[in-house]
Amino acid sequence: MDLDANSSLIAAALGRISAGDPAALQTVYRLTSAKLFGICLRILGERSEAEDALQEIYVTVWRKAADFDASRGSPMTWLIAIARNRSIDRLRASRQSRNMDPIDAATKIADYVPGADSALEGMQEQARLHRCLDGLASHERAALTGAFFDGNTYDDLATRMNVPLGTMKSWIRRALIKLKACLEQ
Amino acid sequence: MTDTFDNSSLPEDDLLAAEYALGVLGDAERAAAEHRVAREKAFARLVTEWERRLAPWAADVAEVVPSPQLWDRIVSTLSAQAQRGGLWQSLTFWRGLSFAAGALAAVCLAALVYLGALIQQHLLVAAIEGDGHRHFVATVDVNRGTVAVVPAAFSPDATRVPELWLIPADGKPRPVGLLHADQTVTLTLPPDLAVFAKNNAVLAVSLEPPGGSPTGQPTGPVIATGKLTSL
Repeated sequence: MDLDANSSLIAAALGRISAGDPAALQTVYRLTSAKLFGICLRILGERSEAEDALQEIYVTVWRKAADFDASRGSPMTWLIAIARNRSIDRLRASRQSRNMDPIDAATKIADYVPGADSALEGMQEQARLHRCLDGLASHERAALTGAFFDGNTYDDLATRMNVPLGTMKSWIRRALIKLKACLEQ
Repeated sequence: MTDTFDNSSLPEDDLLAAEYALGVLGDAERAAAEHRVAREKAFARLVTEWERRLAPWAADVAEVVPSPQLWDRIVSTLSAQAQRGGLWQSLTFWRGLSFAAGALAAVCLAALVYLGALIQQHLLVAAIEGDGHRHFVATVDVNRGTVAVVPAAFSPDATRVPELWLIPADGKPRPVGLLHADQTVTLTLPPDLAVFAKNNAVLAVSLEPPGGSPTGQPTGPVIATGKLTSL
């Protein structure tokens, strides 16, 4: 799925929200709620928790739409960051339902296959990120995956992958450095 | 395996921004990073950059449609905030945006029916509707001689006010009192009026000049009516 398919519509609606137009919030909700809800649900694991998070997210969007700066990135990037931060905050507050299943670093994560729309800029960014993630060691990729999709902390990941905390920190930090270098090539 | 780690290839702040954006920090470090995002522009920019780098990964998450009631919950939260802030115009707008203002009132009605059954009060309720909208929901407490009227999809009129009438079997409207577009109003039914508050009596709302009908009879249009039903 192309995250940025409706980018210009969403950006325009965010502009109208900051001018106080409630109907524009409904537009943003219509275009983005299924994606953001998927993210909340993945991190929080329970529908009711994820719905509470989603409610907070759109109330935040209503209040903070003026903070969105189109020159700094796509509106989906901004919304995804809000959704992940709110979900992670809720997860940390509740300390329940986080995914703590053991991670086997050897598990093969499916390679990314670009879709037919890969000419679109958003798809190119996805393809580039996947290429860079594929270039990481499998334990590094597995650790980043647990953090990004399950909202795990360093501590959680050290437990899930059965390594000392210091090892986990260096794995993730090294992975982030490699990722940035690869994305900037 | 060695755990020694040389992070000289990235400034410490950039790594911290990455860890924050990824969500991997423990509670104290996360709170500290959040504090810096709010106060330090340069650090906030580093975080935004990492959010931009990582966001395309979210395309891998399957879309899931939230329950249809969720939008109404968001609207209720924002309209309650608008109400507290005295933003009446915005409040009306929010109410109009609700997918199911009527459905919400139906839920209220169902809750009242349930509560009525539970506490064995002598209550009558009416959904006051007109033009396909549920404008108000009224609950008559016969023992106390009161009628509480909750606005639902009623849109305020710029020049006129909503007035409530009780119309018993004889078909003559008796004035009960003025309603409010944005808040619940509880009116007293004097004993000579309370005797008419029975099953199948009608509650009606007309639009009247400020202060209410000067004649004691509806002078403006009757916009909504509803039959009282015993709980």
